[in-house]
Amino acid sequence: MDGDRRKILRFIGKGSVLAAFLAQIGAAGRAFFPNVLYEPPSRFKLKKPDDYPDGYTLDEAHRLYVIKQKDAFHVISAICTHLGCNVQWRDTEFDCPCHGSRFRPDGTVIGGPAPRPLDWFATTVSPDGYLEVDSAKDVARDFQLVIGGNGKA
Amino acid sequence: MADKNESFETKDFGWLVAMSLLFLALVAVCFWLEFRTEWGPYQRQFPQLLGHYGKGQEARDFQPGIQQIWIPKIGVTDRCITCHLGYEWSSVLPATIAEPLTPHPTNDWMTKHEFAKFGCTPCHGGDGAATTVAGAHQGGRGWEDPMLSNALAQQNGLAMNGMIEMRCNFCHRHDAATPGMDEINLAKVLFKKKKCLLCHVVEGRGGATGPELTYEGDRNPELLNFAHVTGDHTMFNWNVQHLTKASAVSPKTAMPDFNFKPEESRALTLLLMSWRRLTYPPEYIPDPEVAAAAMQPSPTSTVTPTPSATPVAH
Amino acid sequence: MGAKFKALWRKTSWAWSPESDRESSEAIVKNFWLHWFPAKVARASMDWNYSFWLGTASASLLMILTVTGLMLMFFYVPSTERAYGSIKDLQYAVSFGRILRNQHRWAAEGMVAVVYIHMARVFFTGAYRGTRAINWVAGVVLFLVTLFLSFTGYLLPWDQLAFWAITVGTSIAKQAPFVGPTIQFLLLGGHEIGQQTLLRFYVLHVFFLPVLVWILFAYHMWRVRKDGGLAAVEGIRNARVMVPKATPKTKSYSLFGLTPGTSVAVMSSTGLEESDQVFSSPNMSRRIALVFLVVFNITLLAAILFNAPLEGLANPSVTPNPAKAPWYFVWLQELVASTTVRFGGYTVSGALLGGILLPGFLLAVLTAWPWLDRSPIRAQGRWLAPERKRQNMTFAIATLAIIILIMVGVYLRGPYWRIYWPGQPRPETPRLY
Repeated sequence: MDGDRRKILRFIGKGSVLAAFLAQIGAAGRAFFPNVLYEPPSRFKLKKPDDYPDGYTLDEAHRLYVIKQKDAFHVISAICTHLGCNVQWRDTEFDCPCHGSRFRPDGTVIGGPAPRPLDWFATTVSPDGYLEVDSAKDVARDFQLVIGGNGKA
Repeated sequence: MADKNESFETKDFGWLVAMSLLFLALVAVCFWLEFRTEWGPYQRQFPQLLGHYGKGQEARDFQPGIQQIWIPKIGVTDRCITCHLGYEWSSVLPATIAEPLTPHPTNDWMTKHEFAKFGCTPCHGGDGAATTVAGAHQGGRGWEDPMLSNALAQQNGLAMNGMIEMRCNFCHRHDAATPGMDEINLAKVLFKKKKCLLCHVVEGRGGATGPELTYEGDRNPELLNFAHVTGDHTMFNWNVQHLTKASAVSPKTAMPDFNFKPEESRALTLLLMSWRRLTYPPEYIPDPEVAAAAMQPSPTSTVTPTPSATPVAH
Repeated sequence: MGAKFKALWRKTSWAWSPESDRESSEAIVKNFWLHWFPAKVARASMDWNYSFWLGTASASLLMILTVTGLMLMFFYVPSTERAYGSIKDLQYAVSFGRILRNQHRWAAEGMVAVVYIHMARVFFTGAYRGTRAINWVAGVVLFLVTLFLSFTGYLLPWDQLAFWAITVGTSIAKQAPFVGPTIQFLLLGGHEIGQQTLLRFYVLHVFFLPVLVWILFAYHMWRVRKDGGLAAVEGIRNARVMVPKATPKTKSYSLFGLTPGTSVAVMSSTGLEESDQVFSSPNMSRRIALVFLVVFNITLLAAILFNAPLEGLANPSVTPNPAKAPWYFVWLQELVASTTVRFGGYTVSGALLGGILLPGFLLAVLTAWPWLDRSPIRAQGRWLAPERKRQNMTFAIATLAIIILIMVGVYLRGPYWRIYWPGQPRPETPRLY
């Protein structure tokens, strides 16, 4: 009887040390996933629609191109879908300096290693009249934000 | 047994001695390089020069070694004065002394831009951290500004001071005109006269037909199309040719061909490239009214610089 | 005076004096520095032309890197704002700082090369059979950790190369199935490259990976001894056949008294004979010192002659054109750039295929090779044994392919990663003025 009790106690003892140790490892691992990030939010405001010229305008800080055709706007990501370098608009196509991906003006792939077209970001006009982009939201390739004469979408 | 061991010894012993000697020699080279600095000869020459011009005490007090002007609030660590030792001695040393010991010319604007507040690179460009001529004057590979030397200015058809005006305008951008900044003053007049703001936004004002120009100086030369640019692929060249004949450089552009004279294109290029994001604290930013008041004696757009206390050929 | 000093030296450095040959060899075991070695080592293992002493060269480089790295830690600041400036200070304002950083950099690049060539040597001599298979795996892991150390190392200056290498490197990690995005988040310490990223790579580079290398290195050395030294000795053992020793000239005594000839034939063993071996100290220790000196001199000479690269300050809004990895990763860059496959509506990204699956496959094959090798055991411990011809060809062709990819990447790739043949004009790199 005495031996059995010892066995059980030993099992409980070893088990608790093991469980506590594993939990500690888990806690240490969890610490490496930050809860707060010093990063801009994925939804941000750009300039007012009227401040953009026709054609492709690079926003270096947000790594995207604002494309204006008369009253229609869309926003294409400048981040290559292959491995994240910045693509450059070269009058007729986007080119990537890292691995040579090439994209058409609408962001679809011409050649190179890029697996999918450049992202089109969901674009709206904020209540106070700025272009607002949600870089977490990808939209269809025919998306156009048309601004009326009064500056409203 | 013993003789076999010896065979390894005879094989290796010579090499071991040779490698040990090479080791010593290489370490000696390291020490030689450490003490044979590019700035060493100048620092030996400088106290003699001071002594020669009657500054014996200062010559004796001279402490050799890397010297730097450190101004954390504007991010300046300028070691230029490690070689350019005569910089603050214009009252003693003649301007004819050969570089790098030449004293910095003193004139009206130098009294307002003292070394302790500005250092060297905010005006001259270059890599202030470097202690070699190549490193300091050309900068490393990448996007650091090379020093605005006479040679570089000549390549771009300008005088060195004209080129430096671009950097003056980092802070003086809101002056209507600034004494001594002929190139930039000309550009500012042209910018108004040609009504650039009709199509370009600068600091929130202007039309949006063309791209915003507020931070045009921060644009990266990598992002420009040089397919139709003749000569060197420099941002300066691109701007000069684009201003002269926009349609030739960017065939699809909406910008008209202004057919500026070469000196006008260069002046406007300097103005455009001077528009950078600044991180200088407010005390560094001049009041435009002060410049306006200083411009009063000569109300025309071309400026006669105030004669300096000790006029020095530059 | 000299004798007195000698006596004092003996007193301070030895607790005991050997009085016989046996005690002399035990002395090696009792000395801190010499206890790493066996008392005796096979002459075949000492041969320059067998091992080229590449393992010793790798260990020498590790030693150099550890010492120079510890020195650099006193000057480097792992902050996105100050890292670049601290490297500039090392280059220009710290006494001997330029040499220190250069030697660390060239020793690091040298270590990648030497460790690979060491592995190639082990492969071409078939020196991974039997119990040595475990040590082969340890070696493959060591090579991998060496590459990670290089990668985490060149990120630290926080220049353009660093920034875009992290961008590409962690984007490849992101392509891993299922866990990819989590791994990328963990490596970056967020979604974007920032201070957290630099600090994580710094701690990996100066603590975790070096400690791992040193532990694995110690294990690697211990295994070499426990596996009976270099595989060269197996060659000797295999070549040696059981032959009767020459009849001793002495008379033989049997139960029946004096008889002519020998009654019990004495055969030579298949083990190592006395004549195959030499004392490790001083023969091996002297040669190790020589290899270390050669390696140190080469890295120091390189440090004197060539400056370690440093590009412009990290700039997230501009990717250098072209953005090239260091030479030992360029072949991977070539792979990720050219292995995107499209069939029908499906696309497999080169990042997954060339960045993870293909290198993963190569690594798996490399690790498992000792168990895939079906050649006769006598093929081990010899250079380019004909029994392993096909295997050696496979390894040589794979190595050649990697070298060609590196050449293409380093010499032919220009702006936008296009091929520019020698002589073909390349677009000028745009400058400010």
